[in-house]
Amino acid sequence: MALNTCSEGISFGRELEEASAAFYEELAKLFPDHAETFLGYAAVNKKNVSNVQRTYFGVITDGLEGCYAFNLEPGDYVIDVALPAGISLADALAKALALEETIVRFYNDAAEQGKGLMADVPRAFSLIARKRGERIDELKALGAR
Amino acid sequence: MALLEEPIKEVKVLKNYINGEWVESKGEIIDVVNPATMKVISKVPISTREELDAAVKAAQDAYPDWRRTTPLARSRMLFRLKDLLEENFEKASRIQTQEHGKTIDESRGESRRGIENVEVACGIPTLMQGYISEDVAHGIDEWCMPTPLGVFGVIGPFNFPWMIPLWSIPYAVATGNTVVVKPSSEVPNSQTFLMELAEEAGFPPGVWNMVHGGRTVVNGMLEHPDIKGITFVGSTPVARDVIYKRCGETGKRVIAQAGAKNFMTIMPDCDAANTIAAMMTSFFGNAGQRCLAAANAIIVGEDDDYYNEFVGKVVEMAKKIKVGYGLDESIQMGPLRDPSKKQKVLDYIEIGLKEGAELVLDGRNVTVQGDYPPDCFVGPTIFKNVDPKSRLGSEEIFGPVMSIMRAKDLDEAIKITNENPFGNGHSIFTQSGANARYFQYNVVSGNVGINIGITAAMAFFPFGGLKDSFFGVLHTQGKDAIRFFTDTKVVIQRWF
Repeated sequence: MALNTCSEGISFGRELEEASAAFYEELAKLFPDHAETFLGYAAVNKKNVSNVQRTYFGVITDGLEGCYAFNLEPGDYVIDVALPAGISLADALAKALALEETIVRFYNDAAEQGKGLMADVPRAFSLIARKRGERIDELKALGAR
Repeated sequence: MALLEEPIKEVKVLKNYINGEWVESKGEIIDVVNPATMKVISKVPISTREELDAAVKAAQDAYPDWRRTTPLARSRMLFRLKDLLEENFEKASRIQTQEHGKTIDESRGESRRGIENVEVACGIPTLMQGYISEDVAHGIDEWCMPTPLGVFGVIGPFNFPWMIPLWSIPYAVATGNTVVVKPSSEVPNSQTFLMELAEEAGFPPGVWNMVHGGRTVVNGMLEHPDIKGITFVGSTPVARDVIYKRCGETGKRVIAQAGAKNFMTIMPDCDAANTIAAMMTSFFGNAGQRCLAAANAIIVGEDDDYYNEFVGKVVEMAKKIKVGYGLDESIQMGPLRDPSKKQKVLDYIEIGLKEGAELVLDGRNVTVQGDYPPDCFVGPTIFKNVDPKSRLGSEEIFGPVMSIMRAKDLDEAIKITNENPFGNGHSIFTQSGANARYFQYNVVSGNVGINIGITAAMAFFPFGGLKDSFFGVLHTQGKDAIRFFTDTKVVIQRWF
């Protein structure tokens, strides 16, 4: 079922952030040589949650169309965070890349649809999408090493 | 989506807050019911006249010291309150949904608007400055300064249990007055929680008091000689015939914000998609229980094809609105506050049918998402071919009912709008600046929306209607509130 309300959109973003944070924390355990990078990602994910919530709580108003803010299909943003035993670094990074691309797409779509909200929320979404885009480059570089 | 956790978990009897103490009332105790689940969530006293008198005495006793407290110190206390409100933003929002029924997004919006008034009042050191003229005559200077008056009564309504008292309280206490607040007995938990936070912020005993109750408390406020003014939000008959009249008789200042029947004029050049989205929020947000909710849509123009297509799209979108318990994040419209309010809406639907209006979307048998009793739910309801002079088209319903009517041109739309006795929040949807200006200039309304369906003034602007929507002179919020809660003392000085 589509996500329509502000609250749903924000909560779904939080779910993606939390699931991907847990994924990176697990990666850090599996690949200690890259633990610093992965734990750094997990920490940023958690900051993203609080930044978005703070922004949303700061601009939500009953005067705008908060209950009709989005038309997002959660099925379009499913992320695979399963890490089978013995997974190689290359496969794990491939999963991380796919996950990041999906989350970037979510934030870009949410930013576009959320323009009816006050500017701050779409801007917060866009900023996260851009930062995660940089993370994609880092993950690719990590895989190339 | 899962249901968000309910913040009120056990049924408690709420207490009054008088002179810095939580005090049990001796009055009758009544249930507070969650309108979505119909479960009792708390119990509230209908306090006695003696309890009100004790609160007013505490406020009166606290007034001299509070007045002498510097505006900067009062401002700092409001800053502390603001911090606490931010820390408890989500809990406050969920309490509103649990006791009122509105969606969580609507409650968060209400929380934010309430906090914004505290933020504005934090500027009291500059907001309360007077002005001076040197040498008005030889060697004589003259200045004026706003001074507080004493004790104010704040009477809250059921539809915005958190925000509306905050249209008044921060300004009243910032300017050096003391207050006695009476929350709506239907939704008393929000103000009780606010009172807890105010206590934590450190307001001295007696500055901010809260007495739960009903008519006895209201009548007591109106009669009490030590109460200098009242702010009230509610229906027009009570605002005009009780609050305004009796404040006049007893020499009190008054802000009495009353009912509404808001018209939305939709021009043929409007951005249809955005207009229809705004209509959903304006007509059906807060289940229509909002004095700024649109009630009548006037579609301008004589093109039948355009009219039929536009109405069809409105109905299709309204049909998709998810109705249910507001703590379910997917819900777009909650219940009415109680079964009697639902019955009133059902009665108006019957009236509309008898008057010959055409029911194109019937909310009476709405499908409620989740397993909730139907006692308070009515779905979005749309009539077309509504006569603006009919009861359906002219009286306040306070529910999710849209009445569609037509006008041949903008002048006719404005005429229809202005013939209605209310003047609270009319709006126009158009892409024409000329039409927008013509509308805002000629429409008689305290708040005017241009491509905005809910014409709610921000905290730094005054909020009040015209005609039968408002009784008083100054309004709540912003600079008007500062003037309402202060008197102007003029000093003329000469030294020999």
